[in-house]
Amino acid sequence: MTSKQKEIFLKKRYRAENRFKFFGIFSITLAVSFLGILLFNIFSSGLSAFFKTKILLKINFDEKKLGININTSEKEIKASNFNEILQEALLNLDLLTPELKKIELIDIVSVDATYELKRFYLKHKDQLNKMIEVSLTLSDDLDQLHKGNFPRDIPEDRRRFSDFQLKVFDEQNAQNKIITEFNFSFFTNADSRDPELAGIGSSLMGSLLTLLVCLILSFPIGILAAIYLEEFAPKNKITEIIEINVNNLAAVPSIVFGLLGLGIFLNYFYLPRSTPLVGGLVLALMTLPRIIIPCRAALKAVPPSIREGALALGASKVQTVMHNVVPLAMPGTLSGTIIGLSQALGETAPLILIGMVAFINVVPFYPIDPSAVLPVQVYLWSESAERGFVEKTSATIIILIFFLAFMNSFAIYLRNKFERKWS
Amino acid sequence: MINEKIKISTKNLNVFYGSKQALFDISINLVQNKVTALIGPSGCGKSTFIRCLNRMNDVIDICKVEGSIKIDGDEINKKDLDVNLIREKVGMVFQKPNPFPKSIYDNIAYGPRIHGLAENREDLDNIVEHSLKKAALWDEVKDRLTQPGTGLSGGQQQRLCIARTISINPDVILMDEPCSALDPIATAKIEELIDELKEIYTIVIVTHSMSQAARVSQDTGFFHLGKILEFNSTEKIFKNPDNKLTQDYITGRFG
Repeated sequence: MTSKQKEIFLKKRYRAENRFKFFGIFSITLAVSFLGILLFNIFSSGLSAFFKTKILLKINFDEKKLGININTSEKEIKASNFNEILQEALLNLDLLTPELKKIELIDIVSVDATYELKRFYLKHKDQLNKMIEVSLTLSDDLDQLHKGNFPRDIPEDRRRFSDFQLKVFDEQNAQNKIITEFNFSFFTNADSRDPELAGIGSSLMGSLLTLLVCLILSFPIGILAAIYLEEFAPKNKITEIIEINVNNLAAVPSIVFGLLGLGIFLNYFYLPRSTPLVGGLVLALMTLPRIIIPCRAALKAVPPSIREGALALGASKVQTVMHNVVPLAMPGTLSGTIIGLSQALGETAPLILIGMVAFINVVPFYPIDPSAVLPVQVYLWSESAERGFVEKTSATIIILIFFLAFMNSFAIYLRNKFERKWS
Repeated sequence: MINEKIKISTKNLNVFYGSKQALFDISINLVQNKVTALIGPSGCGKSTFIRCLNRMNDVIDICKVEGSIKIDGDEINKKDLDVNLIREKVGMVFQKPNPFPKSIYDNIAYGPRIHGLAENREDLDNIVEHSLKKAALWDEVKDRLTQPGTGLSGGQQQRLCIARTISINPDVILMDEPCSALDPIATAKIEELIDELKEIYTIVIVTHSMSQAARVSQDTGFFHLGKILEFNSTEKIFKNPDNKLTQDYITGRFG
């Protein structure tokens, strides 16, 4: 090859390398920008759900209208009606309200407002017979209007609040009576038909309980199965078939596990429907192969010299595996488990089949209480007509993404920590 | 020499890996408190042979060992024998240093712990110190016993493995090319150590280095293609071997 040819050859090689580099960077940029668009979309429409709009109302806790006095027990207070003083305060916002519009005026606050008043009074009993300003949740339509999620310039018959309500709202806003607060109830409330009251309390607890059941079942079973298959089982046809099946199970669509759960846990064993117990069982079945496979890989990666060293010292097979091999395989196993669990956390289809798609308006506490889970909550709210649920849907996705990111970073942390320690 | 006691004797030892025969009719006697070197070209069966002596070949599914291996006159190549007891008596040091991913202390304490050799913490501390001293490692590591054994240098790791083997007080120490992964200085240290250890233990060492065999051993066996061609005192083998092939191998003409 002459030096001229050599030069052409080299140039060609450089060009190929640059081309490869360009395609690589192009693909990464594309992927990152799609992710960026997705996150921007979710965050921009979801962040407002973490705040709620309230109105400051002057309330007169009149003992005659409430039918209580300073000595009334808590139970009786809870049973008494706070509606009258609430309506009185609302009607006072505009004393010239025509009779027909009064109902519209009363509707500017949430249906929960009367209970909010009751809760306020229970904390401030000294306010009896006094006039005090209380912040009450606005109806979801005005909440959305205030957050700018709903345009104010469309015709009255095409929006869910009237011109009269809009006028009152604007007046109050001008007097700084409309305030924005952090939406704690979004985290503590269960689902509701009223968007301003709906929260992820039920689905958050449901997800945690479901994952707990899933972890308790799948982690020990998965690890023991992996250790036995990898270290003790004789290598024959049966173990080969088991191995192939485990690998196949990891690829089975999750909805199939849902059908299995429906057929076996609900219809055969009559376990309670819509509960984290059954959800956890189904997800455990799904997660098992996803724990067994990384655990076996981690065991396989332990150098044989470690096993030989222990065996040569007269350690039994079980001692060798439990004292020396398993601890080395733990980081890989743990990160595999966490990633399996984070997949389970995001699973929707199998849980819908076992009835976790039901409308649950109480926060569950035990694995046998009916409950929803976060991804199913997203699915439920995304179907709802009210505009207030749009931001809730995105906010739930934000929470879900937060948990997934947290779990995955914990997996990476574990892996790095233990790897650094022993190599 | 009349007062020589035979520690290990093999008779008609045949080893198969599946259908392939790796050792053919090995019948040799290894003498107590001597260092026996096994030399020969790669793949000649030296390692297979010493792995028979502590039944490490049991780990390999397809490996079949036939014939008689006696340690102190007791047959060890029989099915119903607890291999863990043999391995307690016959320790082994491997080609690549393989400390456990534990602290230096726990590396040594592991053997005594699983065999219940120490009654209390003090006993265990003594065993660890004693073993490390015998392996000539104590002075280098006494201040960092809690640090991982994997953090030591290659030569130190190998001495740690020797200390680990000593910790359960075996009769025999098998060494499978213990210096092949080490630099010359670390090698010299280990050879020196072997020389001291033979006072207490019977040592069998597989080596590729002729000079090492000549330096450390009293007896030498020359393996070739799964057969033992010559087994004699080291002096005889290196000065005046009976076999032409042995002569060629030790002078570097083949292998």
